[in-house]
Amino acid sequence: MAKKKEVIVRLENIHKKYGEEEVLRGISMDVEEGEVVILVGPSGTGKSTLLRCINQLTVPDAGTVVVKDMELTHPDTDIDKARSHIGMVFQEFNLFNHLTALGNVMLGLTQVLGMDKDEAEAHAKKELDRVGLSDKYDNYPGQLSGGQKQRVAIARSLAMDPIVMLFDEPTSALDPELIGEVLEVMKDLALGGMTMICVTHEIGFARDVASRIVFMEHGDIVEQGSPRKMLTNPDHARTKQFLGKISSLH
Amino acid sequence: MPILEYLQIAIPELAEGLLITFRVSFICLGIGMLLGFPAALAKVYGPKWMQWLVTGFIEVIRGTPVLVQLFLIYYGLPQFGLTLSAFNSAYVALGLNSAAYQAEYFRGAIQAISHGQMMAARSIGLSRLKAIRYVIMPQAFRFAIPAWSNEAVSMIKISSIVYLIAVPEMLYVAKELMAKYFNPFQTYFTVGAVYLIIIGSITLLLGQVEKKLAIPGLEISTRGN
Repeated sequence: MAKKKEVIVRLENIHKKYGEEEVLRGISMDVEEGEVVILVGPSGTGKSTLLRCINQLTVPDAGTVVVKDMELTHPDTDIDKARSHIGMVFQEFNLFNHLTALGNVMLGLTQVLGMDKDEAEAHAKKELDRVGLSDKYDNYPGQLSGGQKQRVAIARSLAMDPIVMLFDEPTSALDPELIGEVLEVMKDLALGGMTMICVTHEIGFARDVASRIVFMEHGDIVEQGSPRKMLTNPDHARTKQFLGKISSLH
Repeated sequence: MPILEYLQIAIPELAEGLLITFRVSFICLGIGMLLGFPAALAKVYGPKWMQWLVTGFIEVIRGTPVLVQLFLIYYGLPQFGLTLSAFNSAYVALGLNSAAYQAEYFRGAIQAISHGQMMAARSIGLSRLKAIRYVIMPQAFRFAIPAWSNEAVSMIKISSIVYLIAVPEMLYVAKELMAKYFNPFQTYFTVGAVYLIIIGSITLLLGQVEKKLAIPGLEISTRGN
């Protein structure tokens, strides 16, 4: 029997309220090493909030977040250090506008990991090469297409050598013809064994690489399972209805 | 006295006044930036009490004439045993005044930066201070250049009021010349021309700085305001 894999991300009973609105109603979930977990669900369901609760960009009202051996919800945890081990990719890319592609990738290396400039530059170039942007080192975000920006953003996260990568609708702001190049990079990453949690409605991507699809609604997990089960034979009618709808769209 | 002959006498004296105008303006702009930028950061990122403190300061300064502020410091403080020289009163009054305006300009610039920049900076593990230093500040300074140019120009002009507390800047020199030679038109016309040339040059210079620092591919948004 295969050895049980290490749990990389453990969420226990995560609650979050915005005013009166309960966005997360006690979510618990484990993500094991190398797993690719896809979070789907109607908008306003708390998927992005849940993702941000993992690296504490949004601080949950209650619950525990553990990433590997770091308990992020513990007040004594060095949150900056913990975040440096958790990659995050945003829908709106959020590249640093005043820095070149290379500068974007280097900033964390020099200012968080304390690399010297030469070392950081060599490392950053390697990461940009990996996402197919060897010819764009010196371009500023304003000179890149959406797909290129998102690939720089992925390189920026990967350069920090993360334990887990969080993707928050990484392709939602992209023109349709640019989605493929970003999904390609993500697919390579998944096949390379990276632990990933992705909020995305790219069902094709989920079918190809997901270990698990988690369907959320109204701040709760309705159902989760393998892509095959979730896409063809889910237990809940609501899951079937929702996944059926987005499958037909993509 | 023929105009050329008069100018030969007047211009060297006005030039000395102009140096004082520069000295007062640049020192006060400097004080304004040193206090105004942190004040803007405090207003955007600071705790509530700090935001209130800064807002209170800005509103008091903006809500009262700069001349009243100057007189309060120069004539008013000695009543409490705190006597400042004319120059120091000028630095304090105009410096604080500029700080209030610059704080507002920088706050606007900081808030023009999308929230995602801070989130992305924090997500790679930068502390809040480092995020401000390496991500927010470089962009905020660029966004603030157009408004800051206005502040620089306005400071050079407004600094002329310190002649009222006998700081020998250009307007003060002009007044003395006039008392001596009785030709107000020639004198004030010359002073006006000198201001125009100086301010025109500074506007051009800061325009060049703005262009030079513009972020490639993002020119349009740096031209905001």
